[in-house]
Amino acid sequence: MRTYWVAYQIALQETLQRRSTLLMDRVGGFAIVVSLYSFWTALIGDKATFLGYTREEMLTYVLALNVLRSFVFTGRGWQLVGEISSGKISSYLVRPLSYHGYALALDLAQKTVHVCASFIEVGLLALLVRGGLFLPSDPATWLLFGAAVLMSSLLFFFLEFMISSLAFWTSESGGPLFCFELFLQFAAGAFFPLDVLPEGLRRALEATPFPYMIYFPVRVFLEKVPTSEALSLLGREAMWLAAVYLCAMAVWRRGVRSYAAEGG
Amino acid sequence: MPVAIETKGLTKDYRSPVKEPGLWGGVKSLFDRKWKDTRAVDGVTFSIEEGELVGFLGANGAGKTTTLKMLSGLLTPTSGEATALGFTPWERRPDFQRSISLVMGQRSQLWWEIPAYETFKLNQAIYGLSEADFRRHLDELVELLELGEHLSVPVKKLSLGQRMRCELAAALLHRPRLLLLDEPTIGLDVVMQKNVREFIKAYNKRSGSTIMLTSHNMTDVVELCRRVIVIEKGRLLYDGALDRLVERYAGHKIMRARFTADVDAADLKSLGTVVKYEDRTATLEVPRERMAASAAALLRTYPVADLNVEEVAIDDIVRRLFTHE
Amino acid sequence: MRAALSKYWRIWLRTASMAMQAQLTYRLGSFGFLLGKMMRLMFFFAFMAAVFNHVETVAGYNLVETALFFMTYNLVDMTAQILFRGVYGARRTVSEGDFDFYLVQPCSPLFRMTCSSVDFLDIITIIPVIVMTGMTFARLPPIGWEGYAAYALLMANGVALIFAIHVLVAALAVRTQELESAIWIYRDVMFMGKFPVDVYAPAVRWALTLGIPIAVMTTFPAKALLGRLSFGWIAYAFALTAVALPLSYWFWRDSVARYTSSSS
Repeated sequence: MRTYWVAYQIALQETLQRRSTLLMDRVGGFAIVVSLYSFWTALIGDKATFLGYTREEMLTYVLALNVLRSFVFTGRGWQLVGEISSGKISSYLVRPLSYHGYALALDLAQKTVHVCASFIEVGLLALLVRGGLFLPSDPATWLLFGAAVLMSSLLFFFLEFMISSLAFWTSESGGPLFCFELFLQFAAGAFFPLDVLPEGLRRALEATPFPYMIYFPVRVFLEKVPTSEALSLLGREAMWLAAVYLCAMAVWRRGVRSYAAEGG
Repeated sequence: MPVAIETKGLTKDYRSPVKEPGLWGGVKSLFDRKWKDTRAVDGVTFSIEEGELVGFLGANGAGKTTTLKMLSGLLTPTSGEATALGFTPWERRPDFQRSISLVMGQRSQLWWEIPAYETFKLNQAIYGLSEADFRRHLDELVELLELGEHLSVPVKKLSLGQRMRCELAAALLHRPRLLLLDEPTIGLDVVMQKNVREFIKAYNKRSGSTIMLTSHNMTDVVELCRRVIVIEKGRLLYDGALDRLVERYAGHKIMRARFTADVDAADLKSLGTVVKYEDRTATLEVPRERMAASAAALLRTYPVADLNVEEVAIDDIVRRLFTHE
Repeated sequence: MRAALSKYWRIWLRTASMAMQAQLTYRLGSFGFLLGKMMRLMFFFAFMAAVFNHVETVAGYNLVETALFFMTYNLVDMTAQILFRGVYGARRTVSEGDFDFYLVQPCSPLFRMTCSSVDFLDIITIIPVIVMTGMTFARLPPIGWEGYAAYALLMANGVALIFAIHVLVAALAVRTQELESAIWIYRDVMFMGKFPVDVYAPAVRWALTLGIPIAVMTTFPAKALLGRLSFGWIAYAFALTAVALPLSYWFWRDSVARYTSSSS
């Protein structure tokens, strides 16, 4: 456990040291949030609600998006791809350490910094725009939201890991990973709430693990999901997480084996 | 003979920001940055005639590469003048660029994933070579460098030596009248080094072009250049015949011997100058002409476990030159 | 003049074909990237269409007009990517020494750097965009030739402005040998150009018109086509480019003169 704690601390310092990269990341993300918010504001216009979202709820959706992007969508997939193709992965495999645990520790450091930054941005935006934020008063909502977000984050982590593990077999796994991340952003509701989609398409997406990453937690936060339904959805998310975890580990083991067989 | 290169007081300073520690230092340096100048080349003056093959020597960081980069027009000097083939290099006139080439042993202009031939075709377009000229020059280089089948293999699959030969071909397709070579044999094995050297020599003879070459490898210089220019810490130290330089400063080789039993260091004096003796290992400087005799005597007289003979490192010669002046 | 043009055209063609050959050695990777790009386009289009199932207009524009803005954004952005993608790797070009060769050879180093990595996937992706733009045109009310002329000219103007930004980024890379992420800020901020600039709050709108002129690049051509751009603004757009191009070129020249070449 200590090892991972040290890895976390080192990664935290590193992230903070690369200030210009951090700043640029944040500015870019912020621009996207501003443009999404503006678009939704234009959509709502003078109406009281749009797709069942009030202006207040819409703003909250967009701001929550900013926080969740920082907490959920920060994996270590590209690093894994890089380390496999450069052969650096071998130096981890021979050490008495779980690569997943190690990557999770690094990821957590990155999340810490980005979530803090996103809170600052959200605060700034909430002050600047009219409408105000929707904050749930029921502690149960916060609890459900917390559980959902925690699982979303792990779900993304292992899904990304699974795709990145393709690098064990081909030097070109960057393409599939890029493709996956783009698809994910839409399917998870990171650009717009999935309510906007036609019924059939939405139902199809809801049968996949993707909407659990952004769309579902935000709707829980906005208290759009009754508690009983939220609980059953949480259960389904847990099952997805378990399935993805098992698959990712299986792919990983086979990958390491074939990698070792080829002598790296 | 007309002059190919002439420099007068050529000087180059590198300017780098002084980094202050901490967040506040970083913010401060955004607005009020402090600079530090490092002088890489300091008032260098020399001239080279057309058709000469000149070796350019100096320790790491002495300013060799910087000088070559200025002569090829890549860098603008801080002060001083230079003309190459009648042009001021850093004005980068196309006519000048069509007459020169720069080869850097640690850099590659070849595209990694595709065959070298593709880069040659690109250079044909860049240098505006007609199809006939391109064919003729290429055929000649393929023969001289024994490139043959290497041309159609992706560059990443070539060995270092094969790649270096392709690199030379890419640089020579347009028949430059001035060729600047920076460490052309670095990283190559001994056989490959020899091949590259022979090619350079042949090319110089055949085309009559001027060649300036830097190298860490004394053999390169000894076999190729009759004239050398030595710089140290950016200053010109020596400009003249190589014979005189090696005679004066590297008239000896280094002999290193390990013994199985203790030996009196004083006895070894008859073989050469004892530089060091410890742990049953002796390092001697032996004059070139006495090398064979000394080695034989050593093996005959003493219980030798291991024997090693080396050239004096070029850095050492340069350092000597520096201290003698 | 004609000789120079034909020489540069030949160099561009060669570089493009070499980049394509290099890319084809990574087939799976390339396919992933291509699929990802197409998907992004389709998703956004589906999203726009879905939105207009629920509303009549956004910021005063109907579906066809909004689609026009989106397609125009894509046309301008993708044309710029086809032509200037090399700048994305500017820092690497400098640090790995390729730039040294560009400077020694008789061909503009700026040109070499800009066109050094033409991506034929961009060329494939722009074909459906052109078709979709044509379909959008067909649904617009009849427009006189002046409208189309203004549209074409303002698009060219937009590409030229983007070129100025790329020159600036390339110059920064030559000057400082770092700042890789500068181009990614541009990419993220460019995201805002997907929507007509009218959806933004006045302050943001002014920033996008006068500060970082995304609006001039992407919104102006479509507005001119719809006859909703005054002559004054058209003049401003061209004047901006007339100032930005020489300025960025001057900055480039100055940076090249200060170039220190990375030590080998």
